[in-house]
Amino acid sequence: MTTYIIRRLLWVIVLLFFVSFITFMIFYLFPSADPAALRAGRQPNPELVEQIRHQLGLDKPWYVQYVDYMKGVFLHFDLGYSYQNNISVKTQIFQRLPATISLALGAAVVWLVIGIAVGTISAVRRRSLFDRVSMTGALVGISAPVYWLGLLALYLFANDIGRFKIFPGSGSYVPISQDPAKWFTSLIVPWFVLAAAFAAFYARLLRSNLIDVMSEDYIRTARAKGLSERRVVLRHGIRSAITPIVTAAGLDIGILLGGAILTESVFNIPGIGRLAFDSIQNSDLPMIQGTVLFGAFFIVMANLIVDILYAFIDPRVRY
Amino acid sequence: MNPRERKGMHRNARFLLCALVAVLALVAAGCGGGNDNNGGGGGNAATGKKGGTLTIVDTAGGVDSLDPGYWYYQTDYLELAQPTQRWLYSWGPTDTKPRPDLAEGMPQVADGGKTLTIKIKQGVKYSPPLQDRTVSSKDIKYAMERCFLPQVGNGYAPVYYSDIVGVKQFQSGKAKEISGIQTPDDATLVLKLAKPVGVLANANALALPCTIPVPKDYAQKYDKGKTSHYGEHQVFTGPYMIQNDGKGNITGYQPAKSLVLVRNPSWDPSTDYRKAYLDKIVEQNGSDATVASRKILTGSHMISGDFAAPPVQVLKSALSSRKDQLSIAPSQGNRFISLNTKVKPFDDVNVRRAVSAITDRNALRLTRGGPALGPTATHFIPPGIPGFEEAGGMKGPGFDFVSNPNGDLAVAQKYMKAAGYKSGKYTGPPVLMVGDNVDPARKTGEAFQHQLAQIGIKLNYRQVPHATMLSKFCGVPKAAVAICPNLGWGKDFFDAQSMIDPVFNGKNIVPVGNANYSQANDPKLNALMDKAEQVIDPAERARLWGEIDKQVTNQAYVVTWLWDNQINLRSSDVNAVRNEFNSSWDLNFTSLK
Repeated sequence: MTTYIIRRLLWVIVLLFFVSFITFMIFYLFPSADPAALRAGRQPNPELVEQIRHQLGLDKPWYVQYVDYMKGVFLHFDLGYSYQNNISVKTQIFQRLPATISLALGAAVVWLVIGIAVGTISAVRRRSLFDRVSMTGALVGISAPVYWLGLLALYLFANDIGRFKIFPGSGSYVPISQDPAKWFTSLIVPWFVLAAAFAAFYARLLRSNLIDVMSEDYIRTARAKGLSERRVVLRHGIRSAITPIVTAAGLDIGILLGGAILTESVFNIPGIGRLAFDSIQNSDLPMIQGTVLFGAFFIVMANLIVDILYAFIDPRVRY
Repeated sequence: MNPRERKGMHRNARFLLCALVAVLALVAAGCGGGNDNNGGGGGNAATGKKGGTLTIVDTAGGVDSLDPGYWYYQTDYLELAQPTQRWLYSWGPTDTKPRPDLAEGMPQVADGGKTLTIKIKQGVKYSPPLQDRTVSSKDIKYAMERCFLPQVGNGYAPVYYSDIVGVKQFQSGKAKEISGIQTPDDATLVLKLAKPVGVLANANALALPCTIPVPKDYAQKYDKGKTSHYGEHQVFTGPYMIQNDGKGNITGYQPAKSLVLVRNPSWDPSTDYRKAYLDKIVEQNGSDATVASRKILTGSHMISGDFAAPPVQVLKSALSSRKDQLSIAPSQGNRFISLNTKVKPFDDVNVRRAVSAITDRNALRLTRGGPALGPTATHFIPPGIPGFEEAGGMKGPGFDFVSNPNGDLAVAQKYMKAAGYKSGKYTGPPVLMVGDNVDPARKTGEAFQHQLAQIGIKLNYRQVPHATMLSKFCGVPKAAVAICPNLGWGKDFFDAQSMIDPVFNGKNIVPVGNANYSQANDPKLNALMDKAEQVIDPAERARLWGEIDKQVTNQAYVVTWLWDNQINLRSSDVNAVRNEFNSSWDLNFTSLK
């Protein structure tokens, strides 16, 4: 297992190199904006543009720029400075990371709890009223765009523009270090909005898997041995049916840690997603690189954790 | 230049996604009576209640930079320059001429306009950690010099200050100071010019943030390296300052997230015209436009800042029930479509006139929201700028190809025939048009595409992000883009030079970041603009720039289709005052009810 983890971690480094290289190439090969011209303002003279280009190192060949950048990243963990506002990329990402982590992990808890509970009950009580209602609700949850759902939730429940003034509205996010209670209340609605589609998908996925698993021979054997139905479902059924859920959850959480743009936008949560979106609009390469690298890092790490979890969940998996 | 317009040019792509496109005719009809040209959105600048905290809600990312040398855009003025700094000349809420701020009075002009002497107020102090230090002329000299440093990245200093003696030597690194900026004593600043410069003599170009004082011995260490970091350590002279630790480190700023302004303990109201009623100002960036609009209108102690126009339903509702919370006023900017005179068929003035004639300006305006967004344009200089009336006012100069706001096929065909297209339709290959890839600009481009089809012009239409459009295509002559449909321009100050010269003077054609999108380069017109730049008398300047505008319009280098309005919002318990220079709220005079 240790060898496997070390090998995977080394691959993470290779993968991050690859991702950074691709991002760099996309920026240079495709018609992106010219950072020097943007930085120089509306009516710059050519000298100023060239001076800025030189100052930012943009007059060097692309591969030299890339090597310089990667040297900074690996030797000093220096992600450079934003072309847009001169602020350190690392500082900005770390300032925003807690908000994104709070949003993504909280939402993950919500969707896993709801998804697993609803999926399990629906599978066990197949064709019951609960099953029909919850699966219809799941369909709605999957279909509802996050942006629309977020606005709807705010118009209904936000304490500023809502009809029922229950939860804090948009822009109310405060870091957990500042005020844990406010942090929690400010994220309740965003968590549920972000989790809605995931919960619905997971419920349907688990229901389907569990129904299949419950017709397997070893389940019949377990029942024949006289185990209680609860024990059969929880110890034998779900343990097998949940494997795809773990895979999906790992990927989804990893992706969301790279930023949940729409939810962050609607609720004005200052996270990585919004930062990445703004950077792309402004052709702010250092910031794009930084957010992409972090996003990629989270995705591959989440995958690694999922693979390790398999060994604990599924006895057949060995590394 | 109008900072609002410029901000729009560079950044609107990401903020207007959901705001403007759907503000259609229904709303437009309702907006007709909503114009508020008298300022303030109901606010009273002269009186106000002291104290309280105001929240500025931004749908965008807020200020672009903390560095005064970089400030230029509308939000930079609204959220930082006006409340936190004082500069040589600045702008009160209703000013259309620069007001002496750190200067004692207007520049004393001598030597045929080639020497300007400005007396500096004494006793104006900096915020901590330089609270014991007063502003001197040397600080303004350094501030102007550092605007030429690439680390600062100022775009307008080379445009307005390049005729100061010694600038070229300083820029090329041959001189350590600009010799033409002289400081005989702490209270006197002398500018030596190679030739008279009207916008310096009338102080317009000295009312830009490059004249915000920067103490050299304190700032120089931050001005080294790839980019300057003075902004994160700056000292303030205005009534407010960005929250800091008192040791020269800003603590109240998180990019694209929030900015907190608190009172500057060094500010002395007896030396300043600003009122500064509020105790604290919190700027909250990145809100969704719909949510933010509703929050401001129904909430408490909030105003709009870096803001896209309110979405259709919110605007419609506000116009019927909360009209007094809206401020709709001219932005002194325009929107236009450039026709590249170096690319066929637009090298022919008659084809350009035909394009201008076929343009349905009303239809284009609908793509952005209809009449609420401003009147259709008949020439380049917008209302409120000297030279507007001289160029023909609202009616325009009277050319038949700009007189019909709905477009005129017959007139267009007349000019196409004059250009040699006997059928009245273009018969050549498709031409390259590069526009924005997001609404509402995308819709404007698409509407224009259909209009051009009426005279047979087919397009190879590329849609790209706004920043790419400007810095890789429309602003790069080598890219040979025939049409750029999503351009706009605004004033730097109340003088038509800042509107016309950058866009039409041939001397401004540069390989990158080119603002003369149509590559207009008429020697006679260039000479007339060069002459007008040197004129000091305001009436003569207005006459000359008005005349130039007429000639520019006659050449149809661009199709100007809208004179923009700006829509600002406030909560009902805010006594918000608008600043005419910036077309947005003025935090120095806004108060809570």
